[in-house]
Amino acid sequence: FSPEGRLFQVEYAMESINNSGAAVGILAKDGVVLATEKRVTSKLLDTGAVGCRKEKMFQLDDHVAVAVAGLTADANILINQCRLAAQRHRMTLSEDIPLEQLVRGICDLKQGYTQFGGQRPFGVSLLYAGWDEEFGFQLFQSDPSGNYGGWKATAIGANHQQSQSMLRQDYQEDVGLSEALDLALKVIAKSMDSTSLAADRLEVATITREGGAVKYKLLTEAELKPRVEAANAAEEKKKEDK
Amino acid sequence: GEAMSIQTYNGAAIIAMSGQECVAIASDLRFGVQNQTLACDHKKVYRMHDRLYMGLSGLATDAQTLYKRFVFKHNLYRLREERDMRPQTFASMVSATLYEKRFGPYFVEPVIAGLDPEEGHAPFIAGMDSLGAMETAKDFMCAGTNSESLLGVCETFYRPGLGPEELFEVISQCMLSGVDRDALAGWGAVVYVISKDQCIARTLKGRMD
Repeated sequence: FSPEGRLFQVEYAMESINNSGAAVGILAKDGVVLATEKRVTSKLLDTGAVGCRKEKMFQLDDHVAVAVAGLTADANILINQCRLAAQRHRMTLSEDIPLEQLVRGICDLKQGYTQFGGQRPFGVSLLYAGWDEEFGFQLFQSDPSGNYGGWKATAIGANHQQSQSMLRQDYQEDVGLSEALDLALKVIAKSMDSTSLAADRLEVATITREGGAVKYKLLTEAELKPRVEAANAAEEKKKEDK
Repeated sequence: GEAMSIQTYNGAAIIAMSGQECVAIASDLRFGVQNQTLACDHKKVYRMHDRLYMGLSGLATDAQTLYKRFVFKHNLYRLREERDMRPQTFASMVSATLYEKRFGPYFVEPVIAGLDPEEGHAPFIAGMDSLGAMETAKDFMCAGTNSESLLGVCETFYRPGLGPEELFEVISQCMLSGVDRDALAGWGAVVYVISKDQCIARTLKGRMD
């Protein structure tokens, strides 16, 4: 600890995440939306390479997905641990792992790196989106300290304070998935450096339920384009109105 | 009861057959403990994914546990590879998993049937012993408490190049007559016929003895 009672390494880890691409999560009444900004956008990237097609968004099990902000290599370790935890639970209990149990397990792992071993903490914050039978759709956030919370809407990564206050103003309870998607895109657009959103710089996913099963869907560029264009048009209009 | 043989404690009959761009896999439905029959709806064929099924004969508790372990491994594979496992890859994994317990094995004999997505959905059939010694076949694979009986009927009735409907008929007749001489298997059967676009499961009414 520092003399003022702070854990600097944990704080430095959280600071490092502010340099990474933004991630926004919004809980809707019929699903959860995760929207992220990609930072690695070279056209030399081989987008067909298995296992590294995604930069920010990952599925953990049939019923839960994460959006990542921070050190990608650190994130890969945590994602793998999440996947293992989910399967271990499924093997012994024959059920989907309840979301909070999954989050708590990973956070306990992260906390360990702040207390023993002499190793640095993971430089990753995660937004977990999923559904379980007990509590329905849920959105959780965790950070390098191992702290976690359940949220209706939240943001991590670059400009997350600005995104968070935007969400505080514009989020409405019981919003539908479609409006939540549009709100998430609006917030992400505001936090990104460029003046207008482009579908190929985003990874956006939703968790919904269809026919009694939870569905994880990563939106394609084609599906994103109309919403992105609508968001840009609305932003243009706002500027003109001013 | 008499002395327990672990391989015949529960009883099972499993057949897999390959046809023209399709495979079929069938199992009996009896669940019993030595002489006593406890259920007649206990399938021994498990779905790994749409084009890959596995039958597990032998000790029922080991079959259940192994199935859960393979679901575990396949789920992780699918998340990391972003595709389903090929049947031959899965069979190798099953073989390795069994051999890990070489000196304290799982008392099961797996039979694997599927279609290979990389070879134009070509049929794939394999079987192995409880230590993981694997054999692939072009025609059929049998396992269970009276596998010799099953092999006999399959040898007689099988011919190559059968379509899904004919394959279903052949494998069903083989299963129903094959289990007649086996006291520990039978009580109905379930048959899965797997083609490129669909998998049809049918339950057979057999002699309930």
